[in-house]
Amino acid sequence: MCDVCGCGHSHDHSHDTKSPHPPFEKGGRGGILQNKVVDVNQSLLKANEDAAAGNRKHFDEDGIFAINIISSPGSGKTTLLEKTIDALKGEINIGVLEGDIETDLDAERIRKKGVPAVQLTTGGACHLDSILVHKGFHSLEHSLNGKRLDILFIENVGNLVCPSFFDLGEHLRVVLISVPEGHDKPLKYPKAIKTAQLLIISKTDLVQYFDFDMQKIKKDALSLNPSLNILEVSSKTGEGMDEWIKFLIHRLHR
Amino acid sequence: MHEVSIAIGMVKELTRIALENNAKKVTGVKLKIGKMSGIVADSLIFAFDAVKLEHPLMSSAAISIEEVPLVYECNTCKKTFETDNLSFQTCPFCGSYSLKLLSGEEMHIENVEIETEEESHV
Ligand SMILES: Nc1nc2c(ncn2[C@@H]2O[C@H](COP(=O)(O)OP(=O)(O)OP(=O)(O)O)[C@@H](O)[C@H]2O)c(=O)[nH]1
Ligand SMILES: [Zn+2]
Ligand SMILES: [Zn+2]
Ligand SMILES: [Zn+2]
Ligand SMILES: [Zn+2]
Repeated sequence: MCDVCGCGHSHDHSHDTKSPHPPFEKGGRGGILQNKVVDVNQSLLKANEDAAAGNRKHFDEDGIFAINIISSPGSGKTTLLEKTIDALKGEINIGVLEGDIETDLDAERIRKKGVPAVQLTTGGACHLDSILVHKGFHSLEHSLNGKRLDILFIENVGNLVCPSFFDLGEHLRVVLISVPEGHDKPLKYPKAIKTAQLLIISKTDLVQYFDFDMQKIKKDALSLNPSLNILEVSSKTGEGMDEWIKFLIHRLHR
Repeated sequence: MHEVSIAIGMVKELTRIALENNAKKVTGVKLKIGKMSGIVADSLIFAFDAVKLEHPLMSSAAISIEEVPLVYECNTCKKTFETDNLSFQTCPFCGSYSLKLLSGEEMHIENVEIETEEESHV
């Protein structure tokens, strides 16, 4: 159901922004061509921002805490989700939207954990947008059979640049940077760090094999975003998982 | 090259604006892009000029970009200063860490130049 966006109760709706009629008819009445300047003064990405606001309203009304997870390909987003589901199962109802350019593999991994997941394939685009998330959220709702969600995880397409420009209507934005990627990533990808509320340094079990300067990455990240929270987590050894779960529960209840 | 993503979003916005204003053609668009927006102006121009070709409504639109400098106001001494340094700053006058960003994050369409066909009243 979708009162917020007025899209009716059909689950197959697409909020097409196309005009119902073409902008002008050929061979018309024959008028005078005029040039004019239209003042707009709006964001370049207004369509995305409007749909994101709609999503946030949806989530708020349903009491769902939405989390957008952003990282480079392979930083450990899906693995972290699998471990998070293990830790929270039975206590907290989780749903997942999996962004991917082409495949269904990540959603399949999540479903194996017994959690509803919908794959959002962007068909080439390197980021999720809020319109795609809106559609995905409705199809996820459909598969819940009336069960309500506490947390909606949205795993973005593996990319540390483009996703940071697109608000999805989330309440929490988490950026993962894994140890093998190197400690210089915050300064190279400032937009991701500036727009996130939490940085997870992932794969910390590998720190002994890399010249990874933990102090430097934290210092750089905080210089870009002084209110950023930072956690160190290894999904492999479980180190730092407790802090991450505590962080989630704290956010959920505040 | 995330500027391509931005350019595609921009074309959608321009299409909407053009339809709302009964435009026959979009002939120009003026943007304001902050130094700290994360968008490289030249890359966006390049991307837009490629993407627009697929859209007859704006295939000849000229894009112009005004770059907006990074300006902070110090919450402690109330002075303002401009900088090129994108990472977190301290006030050059009093050393305070408490700063307010006044400009530099903009990614705005300021105006759009269109061609309309008004019905002749003669
Ligand atoms: N050593 C180690 N390996 C990990 C850890 N977390 C994930 N990996 C491995 O890293 C690889 C990528 O993990 P995924 O969870 O698929 O990464 P992802 O970010 O979801 O990848 P994309 O969705 O393709 O962007 C897999 O081989 C994981 O087993 C960790 O904490 N430590
Ligand atoms: Zn809806
Ligand atoms: Zn994944
Ligand atoms: Zn991209
Ligand atoms: Zn000062």
